[in-house]
Amino acid sequence: MADVVVLGAGVAGHTAALHLKRLLGKEHTVTVVTPNSQWNWIPSNIWVGVGDMPAEKVLFPLADVYRKQKIEYLQAKAVAIHPDGSETDPRPFVDIEYTGQGRAGEPGTVHYDYLINATGPKLRFEATPGMGPGGYTHSVCTADHATHAAHALEASIAKMRAGERQTLVIGMGHGTCTCQGAAFEYVFNVDHTIRQAGVRDLATIVYLTNEAALGDFGVGGMVFDQEGFQTTSELWTKSLFRERGVLAIVGAHVERVEDGVIHYETLDGTKHSLAFDFSMLIPPFGGVGLKAYARDGGDITDTLFAPSGFMKVDADYTPKPYEQWKATDWPSTYEVPGYRNLFAVGIAFAPPHAISKPLKTPNGTAIAPAPPRTGMPSGVTGKAAAITIARRIKNPDAPAEPASMAHMGAACVASAGTGLTKGSAAAMTMLPVVPDYDRYPTGRDVRETRGELGLHGHWVKLMLHYLFLYKAKAKFGWPLIPE
Amino acid sequence: MTDPTAPTAQPLLDVSTAPLPTQRTLKMRRNIPFQLVRFVAFDLRIMRMVLKGHKGDAH
Repeated sequence: MADVVVLGAGVAGHTAALHLKRLLGKEHTVTVVTPNSQWNWIPSNIWVGVGDMPAEKVLFPLADVYRKQKIEYLQAKAVAIHPDGSETDPRPFVDIEYTGQGRAGEPGTVHYDYLINATGPKLRFEATPGMGPGGYTHSVCTADHATHAAHALEASIAKMRAGERQTLVIGMGHGTCTCQGAAFEYVFNVDHTIRQAGVRDLATIVYLTNEAALGDFGVGGMVFDQEGFQTTSELWTKSLFRERGVLAIVGAHVERVEDGVIHYETLDGTKHSLAFDFSMLIPPFGGVGLKAYARDGGDITDTLFAPSGFMKVDADYTPKPYEQWKATDWPSTYEVPGYRNLFAVGIAFAPPHAISKPLKTPNGTAIAPAPPRTGMPSGVTGKAAAITIARRIKNPDAPAEPASMAHMGAACVASAGTGLTKGSAAAMTMLPVVPDYDRYPTGRDVRETRGELGLHGHWVKLMLHYLFLYKAKAKFGWPLIPE
Repeated sequence: MTDPTAPTAQPLLDVSTAPLPTQRTLKMRRNIPFQLVRFVAFDLRIMRMVLKGHKGDAH
């Protein structure tokens, strides 16, 4: 009998746990360690953040699903990994600290034969003084944050209804942020909500981003094949900003936020201040701060983790200039070097480098969007690690299931407003996620890399909302729903 | 004098040359029968990509 432990129950960890149990059956144990008691379909937090959907619709309790699936569930946060065990205990184990189940604050250990680190990101609001729910801006990164953002937006709309002009600033809270798609979605949902409220003429909406160009999305932008012409996501996105009257500031690093004022630097090195009445800024992500120890107790955190706190896997981490980046630098198996029983998936794995070109201001400030690993790539890498483990439990020499982001495709449906007849979304597909200029002149397959705007995009996003919640609840037929 | 913290005093991106959708395009983006076709087409594209691209070793 083998014990498989999954750290984290986000898209990657939860997908991995469900597939592991499906593949391994009763003979082996699957244990999920997560500090959260609820699963959150994060893409729909955007709708919670504009008050179009209550938080309850994007959350459900994990305990019920794990009980039905016979998956062990520990509401705890992982603190340290001992991949070689200790001098007194030869089995690998993880130090944990309970956050619920009536044992909050209590330490514990979980032994494993195979471990998947899917701990996701730490939301690093502290990287920008004054940013975040503890400061002067809002967030939609959790359902709770999004609910607070919705209340603040409602208050801002009430002021507009009373005739007061409002400036709403939405975007990225640091030069190294990722997840531009979420800010893009939120800005157009806010625009849509304010239009529906009939006060758009009293709102100045500003999109403040670390992307050097609109439509970059942290993936270096896309080239689309549209009606016989190659067009770019930049032109396509600019068109939407012009159409909707949303102002944009690109190549920005937010330095600090004060009550009602955002201070930022742009790529030319100049510094600016922007007054706001309502703001939602996405924070930069970092690893959750897991430590790692050798058998003799020596600290091997720096060996297993990158300085960002994300776990090193089978990627090529050799520092090299942008011009030398290759698709083959990206990991394929998510196996941690030296440990055939240890994997890091989803946001938890350390990318070898960014996808967008990293830039610096003349003052040396990095304005370098980090690469996204959310959504489809999270689910696919989680499933791949689960398949590898299931194979190796039967045959320890079995090869790993590959799932490189330089080969897999992804769909990104960025909502631009809700409503079954009035909604819209920018529906994009890209193949592969990480551009490969050796295989494709534009970096990606132009037949599969497409972008469309319209009501159908909203229907797709709504369908994905119900489909992925259904799948995450492990209801009948869930394995048939792809990642 | 302009308030230096006002949106108009910011280094705003010039999007004035970006193409604007025509009235017909805007109408089609909300035309239910047309959007139903696009919905099916997009879902098929996602499925094709899943089959083609979710195999990590696909070439």
